Amino acid sequence: MPRLGMVIDLKRCIGCNACVLACKQENGTPPGIHFARVITREVGTYPQSKRTFLPVLCNHCDDAPCVKACPTGASYTRPDGIVLVDNDLCIGCRACAVACPYMNRHYVAPGLLQAGYDGKPLSPYEALKYLDFQEGTTSKCTLCAHRIDRGLEPACVVTCPTDARIFGDLEDQNSRPRKLIEERKGWTLLPESNTKPSVYYLDA
Amino acid sequence: MTATNSGSKALDRGRWITSTCGMCLHGCGIRVLVVDGVASTIEGDPTNPDNLGKLCPKGNSGIARLYDSSRVLRPLKRTNPNKGPGEDPKWVEIGWDEAYEIVTRELGKIHMTDPRKLLCAFGDFQRIVLWGWPAAFGSPNFFTSLGNYCGGSYHPVNGSVDGSFASINDYKYCNYWIQIGSGDGFSSHLHLSGSAKRMADARMRGMKLVSIDPRCSVAGAKADEWIPIVPGTDRAFVLGMAHVLVHELGIYDREFLRDRTNAPYLVGPDGLFYRDDDGRAQVWDLQAKAPRPWNEVPAENVALEGAFPVNGWSVSTGFQVWKDLLADHTPERMSEVTTVPAATIRRIAQEFVEAAKIGSSIEIEGQTYPFRPAALNYYRGSQSHANGLFDNMTYKLFNMLVGNIDVPGGHLGVPLDHRGFFISPGEDGMLKPEPHQLHPPPPFKYPPDSTHLMEFFPIGFDAGQLNTETILEPERFGLNYRPEALLMYHSNPVWNLPETDKVEKILRQMKFIVAIDIQHTESTRWADVFLPARTYLESTLLNCLEAPVVTGHSMRQPVVNPIGDTKDAYEILTDLAEHLGFLEVWNSVLNLVCGFTAKPQYLLDAAKHYSVEEFWDCYARSVYGEERNLTWFKEHGHAVRYRNAQETYQPYGKLRMPFYFEFVKRTGAELRRKLAAANVTNWPFDNYQPLPFWKPSPVIEDGKRGYDFYAITYKESLHTFADTVVLSWLTEVSEKDPVHQGILINGATARNLGIATGDRIRLTSPAGSIEGAAVCVESIHPQVLAVGNATSREFVSNPRVQMKGSPFNRLLTGSLQYSDGATGGLESTARVRVTKVRAGGTENQSVSRSEAPNRS
Repeated sequence: MPRLGMVIDLKRCIGCNACVLACKQENGTPPGIHFARVITREVGTYPQSKRTFLPVLCNHCDDAPCVKACPTGASYTRPDGIVLVDNDLCIGCRACAVACPYMNRHYVAPGLLQAGYDGKPLSPYEALKYLDFQEGTTSKCTLCAHRIDRGLEPACVVTCPTDARIFGDLEDQNSRPRKLIEERKGWTLLPESNTKPSVYYLDA
Repeated sequence: MTATNSGSKALDRGRWITSTCGMCLHGCGIRVLVVDGVASTIEGDPTNPDNLGKLCPKGNSGIARLYDSSRVLRPLKRTNPNKGPGEDPKWVEIGWDEAYEIVTRELGKIHMTDPRKLLCAFGDFQRIVLWGWPAAFGSPNFFTSLGNYCGGSYHPVNGSVDGSFASINDYKYCNYWIQIGSGDGFSSHLHLSGSAKRMADARMRGMKLVSIDPRCSVAGAKADEWIPIVPGTDRAFVLGMAHVLVHELGIYDREFLRDRTNAPYLVGPDGLFYRDDDGRAQVWDLQAKAPRPWNEVPAENVALEGAFPVNGWSVSTGFQVWKDLLADHTPERMSEVTTVPAATIRRIAQEFVEAAKIGSSIEIEGQTYPFRPAALNYYRGSQSHANGLFDNMTYKLFNMLVGNIDVPGGHLGVPLDHRGFFISPGEDGMLKPEPHQLHPPPPFKYPPDSTHLMEFFPIGFDAGQLNTETILEPERFGLNYRPEALLMYHSNPVWNLPETDKVEKILRQMKFIVAIDIQHTESTRWADVFLPARTYLESTLLNCLEAPVVTGHSMRQPVVNPIGDTKDAYEILTDLAEHLGFLEVWNSVLNLVCGFTAKPQYLLDAAKHYSVEEFWDCYARSVYGEERNLTWFKEHGHAVRYRNAQETYQPYGKLRMPFYFEFVKRTGAELRRKLAAANVTNWPFDNYQPLPFWKPSPVIEDGKRGYDFYAITYKESLHTFADTVVLSWLTEVSEKDPVHQGILINGATARNLGIATGDRIRLTSPAGSIEGAAVCVESIHPQVLAVGNATSREFVSNPRVQMKGSPFNRLLTGSLQYSDGATGGLESTARVRVTKVRAGGTENQSVSRSEAPNRS
């Protein structure tokens, strides 16, 4: 079985947030919701201090706590490993958001879709994109399943100016992400959570 | 339903349209997915070698610009006669006919009497061919910074060295990259998306990166080494390294300096080249032990160094003159200026010169070139200072010491546009210096016509900051008229010029102000009429601007039907020219600017009003021939291709570049004579020097007046410095990043001052003061406070966007005293006092985002 995932090369990443905005425009997420984020930190003290950048998104875990926590079966894992939410089954209990140790579940609060950005009437673009969201349900990164199903890579991968995001089948021994994980000892976030993420990182 | 309906629908039913990004000035290739007339997704155009399918966060936010609810969609007329920052203009919507009627009536009076009385502020770099409109009207005035913060001294020196407009290191072959005050490849400057890719590839193949910056910029964050420095002293750091190469290590590219520059030309005691009776520059012939014309001595006999007796004088080679100047620029002395340890200056100099592999060569595309894989890249922060000419000269000369200019691995010129390097032979086997590339050099004239005194800057850029001094004190410079009206086209002079109070004072003097823009700004609030332009997703042009590794135009075309009742900026300016009765002059100016005069078959008919498509069709055919007309571009999107080795590396062949900038000295002397004849004696001639050295700027001197700290600005990738701040898509991200949350201050400095993150602080410079929330960070020099590009606006049209109220330019002095007298470049650093206004944070508040998942 394939297991679709991604490697994020922190050496290449410059924390530019292109992935954040590519995700925003591809998915049309309402205000305040970002499926892709970049966490910036400062480490050390002057003059040995440095800034670091960590892009995050849903890890599409192999052992996804959000799926296990979902009482209705709305959260599910596709055969290719992508974790999705069926909005029609979601009751908005947010057990998934509590269960996700990575804070990658986003609740679409009632009223959120009534106006667009800045509280203005929906733009034609928002009217188009908001069809994908339902108030009172939980939304999340789909790994751009709609693109993958049409032979395209996720929006965050396509746009990444430094080619820091490498998408592919982690089960395929010859895939680029798989090889990079092996060559550069890829690691995952919060391994103690035993979630088996499909998003790996390479050292900066 | 599943979570992918609209995306699926767009991909299944939508149509991809190729175009050009307009979220900053450079114009990456894009393709836009349009479904049922709605723009659904913008991606980088994968067929465009410039950005290779990639886009920065701004480019990814173009849809937010298109559908921005605060755009101006219909012409507006002001009904409140009172003007000022707090005044509501009380706009009412009007039709285009009425708008044109008002503008024509008001500007017509000036056009008929003294057209110089119109101030113009043009800021749309992608439509640079329209910048001749003021000239067609009859006004020489540019009332805006016009990129002077970045390019005031930068462009003139690039143009003088090799006919380029900008410069960059060789991403492909460089192995040791010193980045000094620049965001290239990380956050800003030339074509960010493609440059970020090329920089990342270079780092991955092992290129060493050293970042010199007062603040740990993104370049600093990713560099092998970040070296903090006092702002405005970068030149001292590099002069110290030059000292090490020339006086301590004795390693430099003698062959390059001798054969490819004027470094061996003999300099007389007057500072000019020693010439024979025929006016030929002389070199010292080591064999004949005598001066001989530069082109009559075999290279191996030409002395690069030394002082020689000639006719009772002592003449030195240009190289020797700089070597002598550098003698006291020891790392120890430069360390005192910069705060960089002398040992670091020595070590970086040594690493650099070793990595340069002087003497090596490489074959590319069948041609052998010198190979110098070490280079120093610089931009905004390291050279936008009151001695910017010296800064730029220093960085070029340091690169010349290892012979890396325009060779593989080295420091490469970047042409302005598709025309490539401006190359023509000058004097003494040299390239002709091209300090002016945006317009012909302005002839000297006294009294001056222009309010920014272009007539007094024979090698300078358009010094927009001088407008305030000239207009408010016209008698000082002999200006014999008073401006009465202002036309702004996608420019925001209230925000982009220093000393905002003075700018606003001038605006109060204006009898009429008209703005062409897509949204309200600090400046449009002053307008009497607002003419709404179209966004980049609704308009048409061909773009080719400052691309590091590619050349050729990409097309911008409407991807959706225009929203509201707006017009393409070309149409607005052409309509105005027609209404004001100078369409014929406008067309003739376009003929000149677009190069149609050199290809008469493409000359515009003077009396014809060309539509935007007709105009760009003519432009396309004039550059690419009849086959590649606008229809071709609509289909193919772009004609962008990689520049080949011949176009990239030493495209000027054996023509020499200046090491000793004799023409600068001569130009200064000539200007001094002309101004003396006009009885102007208080002009700053000091910087008309042939070689750079260390001298403190007025800003450094301000430290003695109790302004203990330095204030700087910086730019990161989420925003331009200007109009992206209106977009909530971008600000809701930047607001969460500590570097965009306020004024950055070093943690230890803050503790000493009793300041904590979140406290409101005030910075006061000799020119003015600003306030903002303190953000304590470690990654900044202890003497420096920094204001980012997301926090410098005072007013934007989107009420949701919380303005941080730290308009940096209020701290800058826009006077001649704080400008480079030779280039007009302005001082972009200020000395400040820091005071705490009120507490607002907690002493130990962390600025790192707390939601970060840990690795383990």
